Amino acid sequence: MLQLSPDDIAREAQRLQHNYEFLSYGLTAAWLILVAYVLMLVSRHRKLQEEIASLRAMIEDRPAR
Amino acid sequence: MRDKLLFVLGAAAMVLLARNILVIAGFPNEANQGAIFKIIFFHVPVAMAAMGCAAAALVGSVMFLLTRNFKYDALAVSVTEVGLAFLAANLVTGSIWGRVIWGIWWTWDARLTSALVCWLLYAGYLMLRHAIEEPTQRATFAAVFSIFAFIDVPIVIFSIKWWRTQHPQPVFWGGGSIPGDWYLAAVLNLLAMVLLGIVLTVARLRQEEAQREIDSLRRTAHAF
Repeated sequence: MLQLSPDDIAREAQRLQHNYEFLSYGLTAAWLILVAYVLMLVSRHRKLQEEIASLRAMIEDRPAR
Repeated sequence: MRDKLLFVLGAAAMVLLARNILVIAGFPNEANQGAIFKIIFFHVPVAMAAMGCAAAALVGSVMFLLTRNFKYDALAVSVTEVGLAFLAANLVTGSIWGRVIWGIWWTWDARLTSALVCWLLYAGYLMLRHAIEEPTQRATFAAVFSIFAFIDVPIVIFSIKWWRTQHPQPVFWGGGSIPGDWYLAAVLNLLAMVLLGIVLTVARLRQEEAQREIDSLRRTAHAF
């Protein structure tokens, strides 16, 4: 029968821990990329709205010829 | 109405993703690879979503060249940007998975290299758009470039069939032995990514509309 030494068990536990660590890195990185993209969209949307508002104000302020 | 629908789609994507994370966390670890194998439930759906975005960009670009209607150009740029974010997530999760299983972050095999080239091509597409001022010329050049860039997409998909690669053969939908509930989790995650992609694309399309409004307001301002 296959006997596991305490060293084997410790090595397996370390491998599992290492696996979970990298799984969390992977998922965090994937989500960070998507969240960063969403934040970029939000910031760009704000800039575009500000530009539209300032252009409209500029056109309205000009005296008609 | 459009806002409400967009909000519902976004909320559905988030609920589906949260549910899937809970379900996937409850799955047992894969016998050979351990917990890291579960990254497949994100790595594959984001790749498929990215390839879907590339196909939509191709359709938008071809339609623009045929009709000269700028709404197709807006669709192409919006979907390309979203696809680029998905493909970046795919490359990063793949690299982290490779570090655990192969012991290396990166290798220049056909699948990884073609996927990186695909990312660079579509990043080039967005840079090209920034470099051209005149809208019609920008849309035309970008559409031609997008069609050219799409040539890489079948190479990415079939590279693991055509060449011997470090990247494994497909696990889902490729003859792998995966339990039924794992398939379902992958399909639902793909659905969540597609919903997320639609929401992000529509949000980006609105920015293109806003940009066109700015261009028109600028023309009006110059006409005074």
